Amino acid sequence: MTATPQASAPASRQTDWMGDAMQKRIARRYAAERRFKFLGLAAVALSSLFLAFLLVVMIGNGAKGFVTTEATLTIDLPAATGSISPDQLTEPRLAATMASIDVRRIFDQAVQAQYGDDGARYFASTAWTALRNQLVENPNLVMGKTSFWLPTSSDIDRAAKDRSTPEAERDYAALTKAGEVRQSFNMQFLTGSDGTDPARVGIWGALKGSLITMVVTLFLAFPVGVLAAVYLEEYAPKNRFTDLIEVSINNLAAVPSIIFGLLGLAVFLQFLSMPRSAALVGGLTLALMTMPVIVIAARNAIKAVPPSIREAAMGVGASPIQVVFHHVLPLAIPGIMTGTIIGMARALGETAPLLMIGMRAFTTTPPDGLTDPATVLPVQIFLWSDEVNRGFVEKTSAAIIVLLVFLLTMNAIAVYLRNRFETRW
Amino acid sequence: MLDNLASATTKPKMSARDVRVFYGPKEAIKGVSIDIDMDNVVAFIGPSGCGKSTFLRTLNRMNDTIPIARVEGDITLDGENIYSSSMDVVQLRARVGMVFQKPNPFPKSIYDNVAYGPRIHGLAPNKAELDQIVENSLVRAGLWNEVKDRLQDSGTALSGGQQQRLCIARAIAVDPEVILMDEPCSALDPIATAKIEELIHELRGRYAIVIVTHNMQQAARVSQKTAFFHLGTMVEYGDTSDIFTNPREERTRDYITGRYG
Ligand SMILES: Nc1ncnc2c1ncn2[C@@H]1O[C@H](COP(=O)(O)OP(=O)(O)O)[C@@H](O)[C@H]1O
Ligand SMILES: [Mg+2]
Repeated sequence: MTATPQASAPASRQTDWMGDAMQKRIARRYAAERRFKFLGLAAVALSSLFLAFLLVVMIGNGAKGFVTTEATLTIDLPAATGSISPDQLTEPRLAATMASIDVRRIFDQAVQAQYGDDGARYFASTAWTALRNQLVENPNLVMGKTSFWLPTSSDIDRAAKDRSTPEAERDYAALTKAGEVRQSFNMQFLTGSDGTDPARVGIWGALKGSLITMVVTLFLAFPVGVLAAVYLEEYAPKNRFTDLIEVSINNLAAVPSIIFGLLGLAVFLQFLSMPRSAALVGGLTLALMTMPVIVIAARNAIKAVPPSIREAAMGVGASPIQVVFHHVLPLAIPGIMTGTIIGMARALGETAPLLMIGMRAFTTTPPDGLTDPATVLPVQIFLWSDEVNRGFVEKTSAAIIVLLVFLLTMNAIAVYLRNRFETRW
Repeated sequence: MLDNLASATTKPKMSARDVRVFYGPKEAIKGVSIDIDMDNVVAFIGPSGCGKSTFLRTLNRMNDTIPIARVEGDITLDGENIYSSSMDVVQLRARVGMVFQKPNPFPKSIYDNVAYGPRIHGLAPNKAELDQIVENSLVRAGLWNEVKDRLQDSGTALSGGQQQRLCIARAIAVDPEVILMDEPCSALDPIATAKIEELIHELRGRYAIVIVTHNMQQAARVSQKTAFFHLGTMVEYGDTSDIFTNPREERTRDYITGRYG
């Protein structure tokens, strides 16, 4: 503290800023800068290239999955049904009518009449249900002779899009020539569920399964993760025990996901006897996996809140809980949301742990609740990619597109929310 | 040193007796006794690290937030021990407000900054009264004319000096009895500093004010009483004019004449 005379500095040498050595050093520095910039640019270009490649391949293959091939079938309905009236096809008489007229038989007869004895090979085995649906949707059709567009067999569908068996190629050529075939948007793919006929499968069942699972995961992992982080940061005493908890949480975030599947299997299915294949169990399992990621992100976000803000709040008499909820959390929310986005995106794409708890159920109806048998998008993709029928290839790609769109939508919502919460300093 | 304690004609607002503060095993305040009354602004001066902030923070129990800090001795507010279990620390901090070294407004609007304290303590039953409290506080902090047209702007968008006056407005909005200021001008330019000093003059009498400063001219300008701290002890406490012109202690004289610090 007391001033002492400074030891005199050694006689200083004049720096030669314009000398050769100095100029060379400057040139080297600029070269290094240019090199670094170039490397960075190359890295960005390479990753953009990969991304573009992925998108082009996926969309190229998957787009066909959203298109279906249909052939026309003309039916004289008054003759075939015995002149039923349209209101017989509306509730409440619908069920009784359907029992009395056999749509399947009407379909078979019409096919035989129009396409010959083995004309059935042109159509999907479930094409008659499409006919029934169209009738129910528009009962007035029973009044006259109508041309229906009904899905073709998957062989002809593939002949229309790509290549298929020689017979199918021939059939397709014949149909095209007669103008009896067309391609249209495949609503069934967006509204249906899994099935055995690739031309008729849909993604809605898996999409709904993913949605329910994600909701369970979010509603469990987010509050529990944030509260755990708040407790650890704000309230927990710093001792051996809390150190141990901290280490465990960090390790948990790095545990391979399949282990969480085994944990879910042991705890939820075997110990707690929850239903197999249910979105509830899938959500719980993924929540276990997502929670540590959220805890870590939330703790870092809470740590990053400047202490001066806490002091300011305490200085006017805010209680600890008010400090946390009025000041710390609002400032930490953007960081917490970033961690949540990462955790949820990972959970959405997870397959292995869900296979362990049986979420590979072959379900032809979408799940209606938390405990219905369900599957999720990545598992559906995995299952379809494993099918021998070539028709599933495009469905696999189409399902991947749906998964990516889901992911992007989820992230876009989260980023929007995060920006709304962001406090401008 | 103790002569000054009893000589006050009125009862002291706050008084400390033999206060010791430990950070772990290290004793940062080694037995300080002082009385603070309503009529005088008290300045704490002393070299950095001597414990001015530490002692100041014992007066509203801000040290509670440091896990390793431990306080011994008695500190009373209106005769009531603030470290007793019957004292509610949340209420204490409303009664003994604090202004920090670096301006620290909340990243909220100017209005919300000032309204925060009254809101959490339920001081205003309706919006109109809250508006009135906010206006009065900003007027008293000398900021009203500068911000009255932009109360919804962010408090952090103000200049440093305005931010510090906003922090003072925020502190006085909960109607405290004592205001503690820890080097409130050290991050401000001379003009902003002059405004704060002027403000301290105006607040004197309504609140008991304690200000830590490393600037001796400032201590001389704003305070009526000065306490000189050194290495965790309070060396001398008396009228500011006496401390600066006629200190009793050698160490005080050395510090004031710039021999160290
Ligand atoms: N949170 C803390 N933990 C440990 N030691 C501290 C802490 N705060 C202050 N100290 C120590 O207490 C002493 C007094 O510090 P402080 O009160 O900040 O001094 P001043 O405000 O007079 O500069 C210093 O030696 C400092 O290192
Ligand atoms: Mg200090």
